Amino acid sequence: MLFRVDPASPDPLFTQLAGQVRAAVARGELADGERLPGARELAASLDINLHTVLRAYQELRDEGLIELRRGRGAVVTAPPQDNSELHAAVETLVRVARSLGIAPQTTTALVKEALR
Amino acid sequence: MTSPVPYRSVTTVLTLVVPLALAAVPFVVAGAWASELPDQVAVHFGADGPDRYASVAGAIWPTAIATVVVAVASWALAFFWGRTAQVRRVAAATAVGMAAFLSTLVVGMLDVQRGLTDTAGTTGLGLVMTVAFAVGIGAAALAAWAVPRDAHQPAQEPVPPTAAVLDLGPDEAAVWVTHAESRSALVIGSSVALLTLALGLLLGLPFLAVPAVLVAAIVLSSTWFTVMVDRRGLTVRSAVGWPRFSVPIDEIREAAVTTVSPLAEFGGWGYRVGRGGRVGVVLRTGEGLQVERTGGRAFVVTVDDAATGAALLNTLAARSRVG
Repeated sequence: MLFRVDPASPDPLFTQLAGQVRAAVARGELADGERLPGARELAASLDINLHTVLRAYQELRDEGLIELRRGRGAVVTAPPQDNSELHAAVETLVRVARSLGIAPQTTTALVKEALR
Repeated sequence: MTSPVPYRSVTTVLTLVVPLALAAVPFVVAGAWASELPDQVAVHFGADGPDRYASVAGAIWPTAIATVVVAVASWALAFFWGRTAQVRRVAAATAVGMAAFLSTLVVGMLDVQRGLTDTAGTTGLGLVMTVAFAVGIGAAALAAWAVPRDAHQPAQEPVPPTAAVLDLGPDEAAVWVTHAESRSALVIGSSVALLTLALGLLLGLPFLAVPAVLVAAIVLSSTWFTVMVDRRGLTVRSAVGWPRFSVPIDEIREAAVTTVSPLAEFGGWGYRVGRGGRVGVVLRTGEGLQVERTGGRAFVVTVDDAATGAALLNTLAARSRVG
């Protein structure tokens, strides 16, 4: 999978990383039992602080999405789930927002508001 | 653009001169032992002892010819396609390893028959086989070590504008991680290792643990690879960490998606040298990531979603040229 962190984004780096793992699991790109790259390795690759990666991994662990094991790194523990209905709804949301000319930030703000 | 193949004289020494010298050893040794050797020596051994005989020269010639054939083929491979150090290394190890193995085998076979009047009673071949095998592996490793590494060749020209790229922000960092695997080889190999181990335990043959561990090591080092693309380039490494291949970012001319047919293009599966000197970790038929390197070199690895990896490599390569 692709991990990317943008210092120019308003979201903190660890939030960006955790969000990408969540999305990859939801899309079925990361399956149950699959291993994430080691925190040290990922930090070196992205040229970011080790603690940023660890914080993202800890957040995912607290959500029950991954398991952290000494020496074995991070393993995805998401139960298999059919999210196709959600994906379809997201696609519809994006299409409607685009056709109405609503800015992406406004759309995400509305979604965040609704989820609260 | 074709760049010249480097280190051709070293290649010639390692793949032709050394193997031919090794092939001559049995002739010299047989000459020195002439008075002690029987007229007809045993050359083939079945379950009940020797089952084929030949003259001393007739015992040596077939292996000498085999050595020469392997040496010439290895020389041609490295001389014409040896732009990558890995190709030259495979050629040198094959030629020298084979020559050392066969020569040791023949010399050992003659040695155990010295002074015998009845060669039907020849014994000690198991030891000869083991020693020849060890000498062959050792010589191959030495030859591979003697091959010069590729010089660092940073790319001069920019990444072609036609290359696929990723929409990465100017300060955005990215890494792409995936696996190249051969699930069938992994399952079959692990089963063989476990069965051997189980057999050893059940039959009380503890020495069977040796082949079991050997098979497990081979399986882990050749059927499952982590593939990583980041600011430093492309890295492909096995589950046990070795072997490990890397292409530094500044030596990448262009990355692209390709379709690999291992048997037709690489003559098989695994870590391979393919037609034209392309090097690859090819574990299945289908999609692969191909990296064109400076110096006319190319590296391929079979992965899913190679498009993302290729686009990221091109983006990061272009970025590395600026700074």
